[in-house]
Amino acid sequence: MNKPDHNAYDPRAQPQAVPPRWVRWLLTRLHPKDTLEEVEGDLDELYAHWYNRSGKTRATLRYVLNVVSVLPPFVRRRKQTKQDYEHLSSLHPAMLRNYLKIAFRNLARNSTYSLLNVAGLALGMTCGILLFTLITYHLSFDNFHPQSDRTYRFVTEQHRETISYSRGVPAPLGKAFRTDYTFADKVARLATFDDMLITVKQGQAMAKYKEPEGVAFAEPDFFGMFNYPLLNGTRATTLTEPNTAILTERLARKYFGDASPMNQLIRMNNKIDLRIVGVLKDLPINTDLRAEIFASYATLNQYDAWLASDDSWGGIVSSMQCFAQLRPGITPQQVERVLPAYVKKYRPTSKNVHHYKLQPLADMHFDARYGGAMTKTNLWVLACVGLFLLITACVNFVNLATAQALNRSKEVGVRKVLGSVRGQLFWQFITETGLITVTALLLSLLWATILLPVVNEWFGARLQLKLFSDWQLPLFLLALTVLVTLFSGAYPGLILSRFQPILALKGRLSQQAIGGFNTRRALIVTQFAISQTLIIGVIVIANQMRYAQQAELGFNKEAVVMVSLATNSKPQTQHTVANRFSALAGVKKVSLCQAAPASRSNWSTSPRYDNRPEDEPFAVNVRGGDDQFMSLFDLQLVAGRNVYPADSVREFVVNEAFVRKLNLTAPGAVLGKMLSLNGDRFKGPIVGVIRDFHDKSFHEHIEPMCISTVAENYDYYAVKIDLPMAQPTLAGLDAIWSQTHPDQVFAYQFLDEQIAEFYETETLMLTLIQAFAAIAIFIGCLGLYGLVSFMAAQKTKEIGIRKVLGSSTGQIIWIFAGEFTRLILIAFIVAMPVAWFAMSRWLQTFKDQISIGPDVFAFAMLGTFLVAILTVGYRSIKAALMNPVNSLRSE
Amino acid sequence: MRRTYLGEFEEVVLLMVAILDGEGYGVTVSQALEEHTGRVVTFGTVHNTLIRLEEKGFVVSELGGATAERGGRRKRLFRVTALGSRALQEIQQLRQELWQLVPPQSLQLSSL
Repeated sequence: MNKPDHNAYDPRAQPQAVPPRWVRWLLTRLHPKDTLEEVEGDLDELYAHWYNRSGKTRATLRYVLNVVSVLPPFVRRRKQTKQDYEHLSSLHPAMLRNYLKIAFRNLARNSTYSLLNVAGLALGMTCGILLFTLITYHLSFDNFHPQSDRTYRFVTEQHRETISYSRGVPAPLGKAFRTDYTFADKVARLATFDDMLITVKQGQAMAKYKEPEGVAFAEPDFFGMFNYPLLNGTRATTLTEPNTAILTERLARKYFGDASPMNQLIRMNNKIDLRIVGVLKDLPINTDLRAEIFASYATLNQYDAWLASDDSWGGIVSSMQCFAQLRPGITPQQVERVLPAYVKKYRPTSKNVHHYKLQPLADMHFDARYGGAMTKTNLWVLACVGLFLLITACVNFVNLATAQALNRSKEVGVRKVLGSVRGQLFWQFITETGLITVTALLLSLLWATILLPVVNEWFGARLQLKLFSDWQLPLFLLALTVLVTLFSGAYPGLILSRFQPILALKGRLSQQAIGGFNTRRALIVTQFAISQTLIIGVIVIANQMRYAQQAELGFNKEAVVMVSLATNSKPQTQHTVANRFSALAGVKKVSLCQAAPASRSNWSTSPRYDNRPEDEPFAVNVRGGDDQFMSLFDLQLVAGRNVYPADSVREFVVNEAFVRKLNLTAPGAVLGKMLSLNGDRFKGPIVGVIRDFHDKSFHEHIEPMCISTVAENYDYYAVKIDLPMAQPTLAGLDAIWSQTHPDQVFAYQFLDEQIAEFYETETLMLTLIQAFAAIAIFIGCLGLYGLVSFMAAQKTKEIGIRKVLGSSTGQIIWIFAGEFTRLILIAFIVAMPVAWFAMSRWLQTFKDQISIGPDVFAFAMLGTFLVAILTVGYRSIKAALMNPVNSLRSE
Repeated sequence: MRRTYLGEFEEVVLLMVAILDGEGYGVTVSQALEEHTGRVVTFGTVHNTLIRLEEKGFVVSELGGATAERGGRRKRLFRVTALGSRALQEIQQLRQELWQLVPPQSLQLSSL
């Protein structure tokens, strides 16, 4: 041991100059490790210095104080970057360039792998983009009106034995509310009627246009509440006088070309002249009000005097809507509290008790009870499906990427030896994933653009991909890219960057090392569970649809053409036309009727039976039809007889449901009893009872119904034709009709098409879920293919040895087949209860439903197996047939 | 002119490192500080400042060889870098230029 010199600081040399042990212990525990040695030494030295100068107590005090000054949080930490060579940050341009270059090389080398990845991701992202567009489109409905949070629509709950809902209110309600109360700033009634005939004088000729979106009669305040800007004309004077109208730019151009439409005349239904006093900008796509001609409300009494009158409290039609903009601070509940007074005053005895409610403008598009186009639930379901598909696509990516990981172990090894740290490797793989994601994004944008018209047709929507004009979609795309990249790149990135370089370079990485074959199995199971759930959904929905379309409707809908009556035609003319129709060679039968037996058009009222003092507590649907109606549609009589020909209500035929509602058992019991509808407006004896038929969609029960000769309500000629002669017959119908009504437009529709419209939503759901299931299966198969390829590469040697030892090809294929059979079975066990639960819930919305049998599940599983076998078959057979010499030769 | 900000205390510590000329480490810098300026500061302040100066590139450090002194614990010895010495010179020059601009009577008056 060296002898210390006189002012040495070695504490061992001067045993008395030892600082307190507990303080030093504190220092060693808490001071950063990398500077501990020098700091401990320095402080010892200082202690000795203070000790020599001012004694033990002061030295100890100063020592404690100074130790505390180098403890966290006071101490500054030395940065860790001090190393022998310089590390470039992962975000350094040189590194980024390198990542991109390597990524491109890797993708180009494994082109199959890249293709599978890009295709899978692009498919998922296409669905994501389309569904996002669809959902934002629906959420944007009518959200552009000023003060829309204070704007409400009056709607009606009709309380009978059951509650039904209508978006309409009695016409006088709006006027009464406006004069009686001061709750609202603005109140406007709006009566909309579809399918209007518009005649415009163009030069000498009269041009006829059928406007399917029809005409709206609007009170002036309407345009104060709804933001449909006027191009010409002033708002103050617009739509106050009778026989004035404003129309959209589009229609103005259609009717008048480039000439100014102002003060021009158009004629509506050959009856009402309208002078154009303003032009509206074309309606935005995201509004539920589609009428493009707005006539002044004062004109309504020329169109429908009853509706326009102040005492039409008796009934409601969905055409008549009323909107109100409440004053700030007024709650809808306040308003709803005063509305029952109107019911008490104007409908004191009615069995149909009205409850008027205020519906916020924001709910208008989403409340199916009041005719909203798309419920929020459906939007959520779509969003979930979209998310599912995206997850499947990402899962697929993770699967393929981890399967590829082994092939890249050498690269990772070399990189690590050359100084890569984990973070860098991780970001390298994220960059690669990002590259694939961006490629997939571009591809999916292309696909989405191509598919958009199809989606628009399915949903009856007017979607646009607003890539540049709007911030929502670009933001979504950015978020999508980032999330998909992170979600699908993170796991493979972590796995790859974790490799031990020595093992990786020696090629000694086992399956365990690359992070669990089991993870990938779980992912495959997830994918297949999703696709099998969707497949079961497809089968159930398809079965129910087939059942609905083939089931006994109770009447014959084949080969029936529904020809619209001319507006304002007299009964005499109608009969003449009907007779001339019957004379045509291809026509079997003609009936004048209000609507087909099953129809959306609905007239229901509370009946009074057998001169009882009160109306019955249920509603009856009334169908107008002449004496030919029942035979044309093959409606079966169970008691009594058909009605006699008449032009007004003389006799009634009712259905079995009507008899049941009266708590009678024998259908014959109602024969000869009197029936009155709408007060005593329609009255006559019941002469027959017909077998029940489905008058609405299968979602609904069969309601009480009666048929009578209500000539004033006839809307159609139902024409039974000889199908092989359809073309000339339709031409003949057109000729006769147009000859009789030269000023109107001939229109017809086949009945089975009309009925198919009932099931529009279901057909749409079927198409959608088919598409989604197909996509899910496809993506799932990509994943399976990736898994099998990986297995084949892994087991090359094993297969070689097995073959040398005498395995048959079949046994080797079973290695693969057994694997995916097990996975699909597990997926199936997961999917079965989920699908069963979801589909039972869906089926409950139908009154007549199929049951979900085991055949559905068997079929779903077989289907999945078949697709899976096709996917993995080629790859596994190729692996099994490989010559063992090739796989065993090199070691 | 853009340069890394050098605080007053940092400047003094940097000067001490320059004065000690290769012999500067925690203890000597603290003692020199006390001796030349009369300022008594905690060891942590000096330690932190030295680290900060190194991060800014004004000094470099290396661990001295292990000796039997202080229980064989190594010292971290600091040297001023070119950047550090330029920073000191610039400050010096700036001060000088500013002194030139001060009218002689103003300081005399205020100091009286």
